[in-house]
Amino acid sequence: MASSVSWSVVAVTVILLTEQVLAGRDFYNILGVSKSATTNQIKKAYRKLAKELHPDKNRDDPEAAERFQDLGAAYEVLSDQEKRKVYDRHGEEGLSKGDMGGDPFSSFFGDFGFGFGMKEQEQEVPKGGDVIMDLDVTLEELYSGNFVEVVRYKPVAKPAKGTRKCNCRMEMVTQQLGPGRFQMMQQQVCDECPNVRFVPEEKLLEIEIESGMRDGQEYPFVAEGEPHIDGEPGDLRFKIKQTKHKKFERRGDDLYTNVTISLMDALAGFEMDIKHLDGHKVHIVRDKITWPGARMRKSNEGMPNYENNNVKGSLYITFDIDFPKGTLTEEVRADLKKLLNMESKHTVYNGLQGF
Amino acid sequence: MAAFVKELLTWGASLLFFCGFIKHVLSREMDYEFVTCGSTMKLLNTYSSVRLHSHDVKYGSGSGQQSVTGVDSSDDHNSYWQIRGKTGATCMRGSPVKCGQTIRLMHLSTKRNLHSHHFQSPLSHNLEVSAFGEEGEGDEGDNWVIVCSTKHWSRRDKIRIKNVVTEHYLHVSGDSYGRPIHGQREVSGYPTPSEMNYWIVNEGIFIKPANDPNTGKLMHDHDEL
Repeated sequence: MASSVSWSVVAVTVILLTEQVLAGRDFYNILGVSKSATTNQIKKAYRKLAKELHPDKNRDDPEAAERFQDLGAAYEVLSDQEKRKVYDRHGEEGLSKGDMGGDPFSSFFGDFGFGFGMKEQEQEVPKGGDVIMDLDVTLEELYSGNFVEVVRYKPVAKPAKGTRKCNCRMEMVTQQLGPGRFQMMQQQVCDECPNVRFVPEEKLLEIEIESGMRDGQEYPFVAEGEPHIDGEPGDLRFKIKQTKHKKFERRGDDLYTNVTISLMDALAGFEMDIKHLDGHKVHIVRDKITWPGARMRKSNEGMPNYENNNVKGSLYITFDIDFPKGTLTEEVRADLKKLLNMESKHTVYNGLQGF
Repeated sequence: MAAFVKELLTWGASLLFFCGFIKHVLSREMDYEFVTCGSTMKLLNTYSSVRLHSHDVKYGSGSGQQSVTGVDSSDDHNSYWQIRGKTGATCMRGSPVKCGQTIRLMHLSTKRNLHSHHFQSPLSHNLEVSAFGEEGEGDEGDNWVIVCSTKHWSRRDKIRIKNVVTEHYLHVSGDSYGRPIHGQREVSGYPTPSEMNYWIVNEGIFIKPANDPNTGKLMHDHDEL
């Protein structure tokens, strides 16, 4: 009697557990994002966790590989709008098997510090040419971060029939001409290698423009440069190049901007908003008189620091006054004299030498 | 009779092969087929099968500027050219180049622009095509119009490239150089369109248009609105 009850308990537990496993994984939980996260937020979360959970970095964790696979699957589904819709409605079962299974170890995102796993190179392996190109980036993208997809179409070495000559080098060879007579000469000596042919292939790469990245910073993709028949392909490197911005100038982590105000604002005070790079408003209130060239500093309104995005530089605002043009009537002049109640002053000095 | 049949068969076989080749080129799956600003690529001359190339070797005649040639090899990193807006204008990264648009082609490794002017080319006596400027800035002779009949420049299509100043087409005449650039072909400016001035985009790094990080909308050049 007791054994049949315990057996049914075991059976039910097994069924429930199996159902849990079959019901699928919670991808939002795996990535640590809310259900309403934007695609950019999902990409950022994936990249951060991919660095932490990479099996090479967690060698003593037996479940590391599985967790990394789960992470890859979560990213693959949630970063694709169509797949995400299906997942939100029907869970993991809703997705056909063919939708997932991308290689989580591929260099889709480039080599952001995946140094582990590369073997030490004892001999010099010939390398193909590096391709270094500028990537125009807006100040908005450097403030908020962005992802840029790029198609790489390049020749890839594929095995072909037969052999070819490889590792050709000049060697000194000694020939015996007669008894006691030798001759040394240079000869080209080659090895025999399996034959290769180059087939052009297309591949998608993604560059992450991280908040706070600096002008000239490079974003590498190892082995995506030019191939080399006898060795390794060279690298592809993108060089961040910030385009000029209409409103803001960047110096280090600080931002500079200029505001022209009317003479009225300058004398009577004013209130205004400056729209920042991500759309948020910087509110400015000025009670006192503002003179031409007056500078205001708004801390934490500069660029985020690349190493620590929570630290921001300052925003420096320099004011200039839009003086009214033309001439004022005698009546207005008289009124102004009364209003301003100032003495006439004429100070002569050498302005170019700091007097 | 037998000879006729044989010839017919050979003709038929080559026709089938040709169709298969065309089908392969046309149906090649591309994730994104348009050529955009900021993209870097190799340009293949369809008639001579050489790639547009430059290097730190100056012409011995004409302008004495850096030479531009056509090479056979497909894996030379000196055959890459980057698409940039015309002189004085910006072109938003990732925006597809329209047929009829004026652009500049910057030689990636030397940062000099594909350029033409009224100097004679050394072998064919057409117009000289050189690589000119510093850090990607030269002059009006750096501007070229992409001549094609569709709306945008596609990686699948043959196009012609016409210089704005000389109004000549980027051309490969077939003449080759001797030392020190033995075997490389002459690239020149030719006055009229021909089979020898068709080019097609080949290997490269093609930047897709990205979304604005704040609005989520596609970032594009303002004149498209």
